[in-house]
Amino acid sequence: MEDSSSIGVENISLEDLLIELGDSSYPHSLEKYDKKKFNIGKDLINNGRTIRNGKKTKRISTFFVCIDCHNIGREFNLLESQSSLDRLNFAKNNFIPYLPGSTFYGIYNRTSFYNDDYVKKYGDLVNKASNNLNEAIQVCAKYCSSGRYLDEWELEAIMHYFKGNELKINDLDLNYEILLDIENVANLDHNQKNDLKNKINSFYRKFYSATFLPAMDVNIRKYGDGGNVENGKFIYNKSCLHCHANSRVTYLNLGNDKLSAEMFEKNLSNYSDKSLYQIIRYGTYPKAGRKQYMPLFTKEKMSDDQINDLVSYIKKLSNK
Amino acid sequence: MIRKITITFISVLLFINIKAQDIQETFSGTRILNGHSIETLKKNMLQFRVEHRFGDMLSGWNPSNIIQNWLGFDQASDIRFAFEYGITDKLMIGLGRIKGTGRPYRSVVDGFVKYRFITQNKSAKKPVSMTLISSSTLTYASASSDETQIQSFPEFAHRIAYSTQLNMARKFGERFSLALMPTYVHRNYVLPTDVNGLFALGTAFNLKVSKTVGIILEYYHTFHNKINSSGDIIRDKNYNSLSAGFEFVTNGHLFQIVLTNSKGLSETQFIPGTYSNWLNGEFRLGFSITRNFKL
Repeated sequence: MEDSSSIGVENISLEDLLIELGDSSYPHSLEKYDKKKFNIGKDLINNGRTIRNGKKTKRISTFFVCIDCHNIGREFNLLESQSSLDRLNFAKNNFIPYLPGSTFYGIYNRTSFYNDDYVKKYGDLVNKASNNLNEAIQVCAKYCSSGRYLDEWELEAIMHYFKGNELKINDLDLNYEILLDIENVANLDHNQKNDLKNKINSFYRKFYSATFLPAMDVNIRKYGDGGNVENGKFIYNKSCLHCHANSRVTYLNLGNDKLSAEMFEKNLSNYSDKSLYQIIRYGTYPKAGRKQYMPLFTKEKMSDDQINDLVSYIKKLSNK
Repeated sequence: MIRKITITFISVLLFINIKAQDIQETFSGTRILNGHSIETLKKNMLQFRVEHRFGDMLSGWNPSNIIQNWLGFDQASDIRFAFEYGITDKLMIGLGRIKGTGRPYRSVVDGFVKYRFITQNKSAKKPVSMTLISSSTLTYASASSDETQIQSFPEFAHRIAYSTQLNMARKFGERFSLALMPTYVHRNYVLPTDVNGLFALGTAFNLKVSKTVGIILEYYHTFHNKINSSGDIIRDKNYNSLSAGFEFVTNGHLFQIVLTNSKGLSETQFIPGTYSNWLNGEFRLGFSITRNFKL
């Protein structure tokens, strides 16, 4: 099996290739990539602010930074997948957080945002954001992070960061025949180009689905029975504690301790905010005086089986 | 291969980091009951506090107090409103306004600086957490014309009192925390039968019944000579501060209900100025409510 590097197409940008195959450029497409702006964007995404003209800029949000909810690296072995099981396995193998938001990796190559059920949460706000990355970023900055709209230079910097992390040919798990076609793209006719474009598009996702689920009925909850404790431990540490350890993002301080576990175990069979079955599916909402809130996990970001895994770990921790 | 090695290396680092974590929530808030705890507010956290102490519940064990004063709810021994702020995760400041017990202070403003310089960490072989607190109170009440009273305040400096405390605490397991608080209080102006500088040793524990509910006991023992250089008996009407309470933690709030023989709030009042005796039914209900705002 030959790989993309062996035939010299590895660094071709996916966007450039698709344009060559007849696609129009993305609405958010950048003509020229600027490394300096990339670094500013990186700072904004990681820290919520940057240094400009020797001074710290105003924070985008007092409560969140982007990486509280989004990874910036790859989340799947195969980029066409959006299976929660694949995502968890990749997170475990690579020891990365398991978060409610989709990764920024390859977001530049996506064309649809706040998909499916997000309209239930954000209403008309997602109309413009659903097919425009610039708008999607602004909705996230202002509403999802309880912050403010970005200044033009901030938005531009973040877009350069995304551009710097756009998908390249060697990010996709393309087979040798497709790679050969890419190398000979100039010689392909219209139909062949269309064919190649469709094949390439099947190797990554242009959008991630978002299915909101209700809190599971108390009568059909498994309460951890048959759950995978190791998975549950990973989810607790890399999802829950990502924000709750040492009250980093929220006031609720959680740890790998019996008291935290007991609090959850007592509430497993109800529909309160302390019930994992409830809080994971609905999250909380920002309100006056307490703008930090917990985002919900869609079915794609945490499956019911994974919640059962988490419950099995909580029960073990509670009874240790 | 390089990727696997990198990931393994990062994983090991993260694991070490988890193992080396500082102990969290030795106490639930920045106060134990009347006095400070080792805890400080996190960076950029603003806290609004309301603290209240009612009147004697059962003064002289007289049942009529239950009806006449409604267990002391009709009176307010002391009230404090304050804003406190975390400059860093280890350094905080506070500014408050206290009603004052009137014995001797009324209309008081208080301020403090608090720095946590050691945090309990098993891996780092730090068995306790330690915090240094320096606080001061200033009364701006009108001076009394009766020069035999402290409230006459002949000089401005007489209105000021200070307190310095080394607060040490250790969390044992997940539920039990114990604190020791050597404290020095200096009041610039006192009666001849009192002392300006007073050393006290506080001790307290917190037993967490659950993640959100805790039981607390706090006691400050004062140390001083029994007679002054003129041979007069000093501080014979004073008692040590003893308080018991429970707390309830919610998302962004901390509620504490306290039973205490001390009327005053702030170290310069309740440590040197407790005149009530539990054994005479001279204890009162109090509460404190905090609300955190992330700035």
